[in-house]
Amino acid sequence: MTTRLSLSSAPLMSFKPGLSAMTALTLGLTPLPLMAQEVSVENEPSTAQDNASLETASSAAPIPLVPGEPIWDSFHGQLNAQKYSPLDQITADNVADLEKVWELHTGDVADGSGDLPATVWSATPVFANDTLYIGTPFYRILALDPASGEEKWSFDTQSSLEALTQPALKNRGVAYWEATDSEAGEPCQKIIYMGTMDAQLFAVDADTGEQCADFAENGVLDVNQWNDTHDKWPLSLLQPPTVVGDHLILGWAGNDWAYEQAPPGTVFSINARTGEREWTFQALSDEVREQSGTANVWTHMSADEELGLVYLPVSSPSPNYWGGNRTEEVPLGTSTTAVDIETGEVVWSRQWVHHDIWDYDTVAAPTLMDITVDGEEIPALLQATKMGFLFVVNRETGEDVWPIEERPVPSGDGSVEGEVYAPTQPFPTKPVPLLDQSEKPNVWALADAVSFGECSALWDELRYEGMYTPPTTQGEGTLGYPISAGGVQWGGVAFEPDSQTAIVNTSHIVQYIKLYEREAYEKADSGSGNESGFAPQEGAPYGMRLEVALNRWGMPCWEPPFGELVAIDMTTGDIKWRRPMGVSQQYGFFMPERWGSPTIGGPAVTAGNVIFIGASMDAKVRAYSLETGEELWSDQTEAPSVSNPAVYEYEGRQYVAFVSGGNTILKNQVGDQIAVYALPE
Amino acid sequence: MSSSFPSKSGAIVLLIASLTGLAIALYAYFTPLTGVTGTLGALVAILACLALAILALLLASTQGPGTAIFLRILILLGLGGTGFAAVLLHQWWIGVAMVVGLIGLILDLMRPARLVHS
Repeated sequence: MTTRLSLSSAPLMSFKPGLSAMTALTLGLTPLPLMAQEVSVENEPSTAQDNASLETASSAAPIPLVPGEPIWDSFHGQLNAQKYSPLDQITADNVADLEKVWELHTGDVADGSGDLPATVWSATPVFANDTLYIGTPFYRILALDPASGEEKWSFDTQSSLEALTQPALKNRGVAYWEATDSEAGEPCQKIIYMGTMDAQLFAVDADTGEQCADFAENGVLDVNQWNDTHDKWPLSLLQPPTVVGDHLILGWAGNDWAYEQAPPGTVFSINARTGEREWTFQALSDEVREQSGTANVWTHMSADEELGLVYLPVSSPSPNYWGGNRTEEVPLGTSTTAVDIETGEVVWSRQWVHHDIWDYDTVAAPTLMDITVDGEEIPALLQATKMGFLFVVNRETGEDVWPIEERPVPSGDGSVEGEVYAPTQPFPTKPVPLLDQSEKPNVWALADAVSFGECSALWDELRYEGMYTPPTTQGEGTLGYPISAGGVQWGGVAFEPDSQTAIVNTSHIVQYIKLYEREAYEKADSGSGNESGFAPQEGAPYGMRLEVALNRWGMPCWEPPFGELVAIDMTTGDIKWRRPMGVSQQYGFFMPERWGSPTIGGPAVTAGNVIFIGASMDAKVRAYSLETGEELWSDQTEAPSVSNPAVYEYEGRQYVAFVSGGNTILKNQVGDQIAVYALPE
Repeated sequence: MSSSFPSKSGAIVLLIASLTGLAIALYAYFTPLTGVTGTLGALVAILACLALAILALLLASTQGPGTAIFLRILILLGLGGTGFAAVLLHQWWIGVAMVVGLIGLILDLMRPARLVHS
């Protein structure tokens, strides 16, 4: 039976919870009133079950936020998304001795020049069950020996290699689940899950690679069976599910910028053993779902099992750059929303962009951390964003740790019909923004000179009154700094709990967005690439064009650095250090290090005071000192490592694994390499 | 001293340096994980080193002073450009080869003018 619970509507900014989320959960109360949203509960727990849960909760041992043992069994390493390993065999002092102990080329790669679309591979290797598991962009699962890379088994989903919703074949890896009450000799007590672009979720035995017969239809769950509103595309499962207890929390990805009306961004909770749907979460009200769509969760999530909360990074509604079809408030769009793991009910939500018309999807799992601020221990959550803002709130309640202020932002220039504009947007006071979006970035004199003034001419045609300058039909459009490319991407923020230091890589990228009235769009459309070019927003009165601000030689028109690595002292919110990260590369030519590189992919941090990260254009993987930011080690890989590294220990030896798959957003270079490093024996 | 060996020694050094640069550039272009595998930049370095080798041969065989001056200017530009490209490609040994090539060019400049007519 499906029960719909319609929660009342209230302005987000006036939300001041009187009870902590934990108290509310423990008492079994309906969550505090929030904005319009709906939760469908397929298996509403009975009162008896509630009582049983209460008893269990009161007697259960606390679940520490930071696991006591080294764990790297999910996309961000751990459910808290800290990407932190307590391993300290590799230290800042000896990391320079690191050597590649094995590498593997999966063969699952395409550059787009043949029959297959290009591949984009952003998978985090998952270490569990004494095995390294990895998913590929050809939708195969590989189980590898962690010390040698030797294949234990592989599983081919036989998925069609078509770019159904994305411009490329994408994969972000696999998820792992293990029964707490495993039965000896029974299959599928440990399961690997991986989704496909055509919305099939596969479950295979982690020991054998055999499909799990008891999960959905012989180990395959057709998630598209629930695609019942504006089903313009399959609900692509590119991001592995977030595994919390026996729940698989599952979002999906779609075809951004294509349609005004699109599938609404349902999040599903799936039973890890059976594939049965348990609850769903909708960020959009019924009315908005009919006229809009998305506000989906396409990236990973984090969870605090002690609090019983899973944190959803919710993206913006459709279409991305025009909001005339959703003029009412959509309070859960572009938000971080905490929901009850057992029921999917919203416990608190913070919206980071009101009436998002910039595609500022909440792009990464929030990082959960316990921090000490002014002597007070705070269960905190840090949400990195495309805007380059880091929002820090109490993860129990959603309340500010450092003040988050509503500040006036620019309105439109009157050229866009039907649009409405949020008068204010949230601005964090600490930490400071990762990039200065308050003023129009300067034209880079070098790029301007070699292009004979092309950059300054472009700048003159672009409107910019701060980051939230709305899209326009005028001139060359609105300058976006940053806009779709971010800021921070799905790699998210790492956190070292001893020193309470957060580490994040960020890009400085200028793009420009222009809206075209439908007739003008049909004349202007000259195609699109990966995250750039023309897109129709079909159904809306405006198509759009988004471009990176480059000169004719492909040089950025704005001043370097183009990407940085930043460390933040989370006890004060102050920047500890920041430095250009990686090296930009064009046609093989490396640019000076002080210019840095745009970054896609995230960092990992260890108790050895080392930060590991790929993420840069030059396809190198690097180690930095946590203390100083000094680069300590690097190695060349096949393609930009646009994923998160994995840090694990096997038979007493510490390893660091990178996937080098490339992403055409950074440059046209693809790879199929897994490179694993350790200290010499 | 009318021997032709000293008169060509600069060009020979230049030729060896160019061929060394060519070999390194070919390695960088075709070998995986050099950082510039298959890139346009490495291909340019290959062609530039090949052109320098040909120019070195021409310089060794040229008799006319005007042609020699023209070749030297071309070679100087080629060495500078290829050396700069090598630095941007992080192919330091190509850069070293270009410095050696420059030494060869200087040696060639120092050969007695009369030998050009010998």
